[in-house]
Amino acid sequence: MTSKARSLKLNFIGLMAIPFLSLFVSCTGEKSEGAKTQERLSDTEIKYFTNGKKLYTQYCANCHAENGEGLGRLIPPLKNSDYLLSDIPRAAGIILNGMKGPIQVNGVEYNQPMPANPKLNQTEVLEILTYITNSWGNEFGGVDPELIKK
Amino acid sequence: MKKITLQVISALVVFAAVLNGCGKGSSGQQLPILGRTDYKEVGGKVDTIYHTIPSFQFVDQDSALVTEATVDNKIYVADFFFGTCPTICPVMKQQMLRVYEEFKDNPNFAILSHTIDPDHDTVAYLKDFSERLGVPDNKTWHFLTGNKDEIYEIGSGSGYLVPVGEDKDAPGGYIHSGAFILVDGQRRIRGMYDGTDPKQVTALMSDIPKLLKAYDE
Repeated sequence: MTSKARSLKLNFIGLMAIPFLSLFVSCTGEKSEGAKTQERLSDTEIKYFTNGKKLYTQYCANCHAENGEGLGRLIPPLKNSDYLLSDIPRAAGIILNGMKGPIQVNGVEYNQPMPANPKLNQTEVLEILTYITNSWGNEFGGVDPELIKK
Repeated sequence: MKKITLQVISALVVFAAVLNGCGKGSSGQQLPILGRTDYKEVGGKVDTIYHTIPSFQFVDQDSALVTEATVDNKIYVADFFFGTCPTICPVMKQQMLRVYEEFKDNPNFAILSHTIDPDHDTVAYLKDFSERLGVPDNKTWHFLTGNKDEIYEIGSGSGYLVPVGEDKDAPGGYIHSGAFILVDGQRRIRGMYDGTDPKQVTALMSDIPKLLKAYDE
């Protein structure tokens, strides 16, 4: 093998390494968040979390977005939301009954009505709550079913 | 040595595929002209008459009158929404923001978002709505309200060819299409895209420059 060919090969390996490396980085990033979620939640709560994710996609993600960031100053974020994380029973009520009027989330005013979700049962509300309070960097932990009982 | 040759060849194949993909997006490929086309014979010559958006008159979030003259000789994207929509509108607006961010500084480009609930979505409401969305002025993106019948009329078969209307059984009380409609400087429809699908909106964003290119020539 000539030295020219060798350097070509090295170059090539170097080039190929870039996408592989980025793949590795993104995977380990996701894994560590998933691992943290698993540590925080019991087996039952992980089931709630998984079902909650499906329900979130179906009922909530249109407005609050898949990444939980909401939309501008129209639709409030759930990610790092003080309004959500500071009062879980209130959040349960809003998921079920909707809401109207202005609220403050992380110091920003939002004033867009949210529709009610009368089709959801108590368990489904718990599942959604478990998902949204433990995703996108939210680290609330398990949601006590007693908290949202009416 | 054989190994290297193989690797180089496979690298070239990948590279060529990438190049090919890029070429599809940026070549001078013509976009189709959509809608019903009529042919008329004038003095022994056949004229082709394309479907065009008829004249209109609405008011935007800054109370400015917006008519066909506002978008005369401009490339624009139109859609239909309503402010309190609980279903597809937030996704559409999130996606339209991508289009806005990409082309907002181009003087030959505009966006017309028509409310289909003008009783609720007044000028004041649309101003607040657009500001909260992240659109500070009406330079590029106009949020339009006006006479309900005229809005439905321009959405229909005589205009943008999309379904819009009231429906008591639909969530929020209205049905409307999630389409983003691409219109050229002669008010001809050049593309329809699903505004709730990020991939289709990416396709729209790669088609807009094909029309804008005409302004550079």
